[in-house]
Amino acid sequence: MNKNIPQEIQRFDLSARIQHIIMFTTFLILSFTGWGLKYAYVEPSSAWINIWGGPRVAGIIHRVAGILMLLDFIYHQFYLLNLARKKDLRLTIIPMPKDVVDLVHNFMYFLGLRKERPYFGKFTYLQKFDYWAVYWGMFIIGTSGFFLAFPVTVSALFPTWSLAWAWDVLFIMHSDEALLAIVFILIIHFYNEHLRSEYFPMNWLWLTGKMPIEQFKHHHPAEFDYLYGKGSEKKK
Amino acid sequence: MRTWLNALLSLLFTFLLITTAGAATDSATCLSCHGSMEGAVNVNKEKYEKSVHGSFDCVMCHAAPKGDQHQGMGGAAPDKAVREFAAAIAPKGLKDTLAAAACAGCHPDKVEEYKGSIHGQNVIVKKSADGPVCTNCHGVPHYIEKRPSTASKVYLFNVVESCGKCHEEKHITEKYRFSPLVMERYKESFHGRKLKLGHSGAPSCANCHGSHAIVSAKDPKSPVGSVEAKKKTCGACHPGATEKFVAAITHKPLHPIAHFTEIGLILLTVGTFIFIITHVLLDIFADIRDRLFRKGGDHHE
Repeated sequence: MNKNIPQEIQRFDLSARIQHIIMFTTFLILSFTGWGLKYAYVEPSSAWINIWGGPRVAGIIHRVAGILMLLDFIYHQFYLLNLARKKDLRLTIIPMPKDVVDLVHNFMYFLGLRKERPYFGKFTYLQKFDYWAVYWGMFIIGTSGFFLAFPVTVSALFPTWSLAWAWDVLFIMHSDEALLAIVFILIIHFYNEHLRSEYFPMNWLWLTGKMPIEQFKHHHPAEFDYLYGKGSEKKK
Repeated sequence: MRTWLNALLSLLFTFLLITTAGAATDSATCLSCHGSMEGAVNVNKEKYEKSVHGSFDCVMCHAAPKGDQHQGMGGAAPDKAVREFAAAIAPKGLKDTLAAAACAGCHPDKVEEYKGSIHGQNVIVKKSADGPVCTNCHGVPHYIEKRPSTASKVYLFNVVESCGKCHEEKHITEKYRFSPLVMERYKESFHGRKLKLGHSGAPSCANCHGSHAIVSAKDPKSPVGSVEAKKKTCGACHPGATEKFVAAITHKPLHPIAHFTEIGLILLTVGTFIFIITHVLLDIFADIRDRLFRKGGDHHE
């Protein structure tokens, strides 16, 4: 192994880690309080909401957490702009045609049709999906949530011809997409970052921001090769 | 002349005294039998005494109990308001209409409001037994409690159920062409959900539609009968409610656009769910396979 290769590789800087902590804390609070309202008629929702201080307080907590999450998301856009300004932004999170190839290769690997896992880059297709899911969620759930939180004020924006369905659409968008987000996080994110045998009980990367180089080489071989591999003299 | 009048008055008074003394019909007398009888004639003494009318003698409402067993029992003849109200609600076909109308004796204002309501009109004018009288909403007359009590049928958190007794009944909704989804759509609205969770600020049916004087939501007199009325009614909790804002709550079936948005989003959720479950299960399968048969998998290529 090349002597220039470090023992650990930095995946996320401090700012990104803090953004992630705010994101998942608000996400959990929103899920917990929102779930009680979505399934109000399924017991023990009343008892559950009472743990959060009753429907009135739970509603306030939900709104505050929602605004914090939106602010975190907006902050992230400035964070990206700042990275771009420092010419430190590689577009490794953008979905590419190779991701489709990776997906097919991964399923072939699962089924024993390929010996090796796909030649993943800095972010796998699932990680990209996870990342962009937040944008989708912010657009669908964040917008509708903002509208539902300030209905009287926001109603002025509605065109008259939309009134017969706009409110119901907002409500459906907010509640159904939140369920999608919860289900997605609960299954994909929990499996990959918590339950996977090599990480259990969790991938400590969320605190340290670093990944052991062996693990990195195993999970992101294309990125490893890009950084240290065959004749790559640290491009850029 | 004067002496004659005096004599007549005292005679009448004596007569009254004799009747009351002879009958001794206070609630204890009645409950000595009815407190232990079975079936519809039973009155639970404890619950009766706890109710708002618990200090009343039975004959104050049941002025003229029927049957030989009640001979000599009874109260003062009901006043005109009660008799008139009893005649008005006769189409309801109750066992003791006079007793059911006794509310008019002490609550004339509420009864007047009721008479003009769509419920009252249904019974009084249309002579139908479908419309509710006092006891249909307030519950068994012997056990009526004040509204803040959880036992009251018109307690904030019981109103939806009380209205639902008729407004969720298929033969009623069909006969009167109510939107069959009114109750369902209310229950799934933010108002309905919050009320279910115990939010004391959430409105039940009566908060927006009114109670004793209730009229059809299509009637301009209804608090939700016009956009202007809605602006005022909604504005009580949502200051500054606009024409566009009050469109949010209709209890109407979902508009096709909202309906298909919902279907689309459900498909998206189910699709994603199937994909990620498959993905995770195959991933677990491959992980176990590699550990068992490939000895460390592709860790050390």
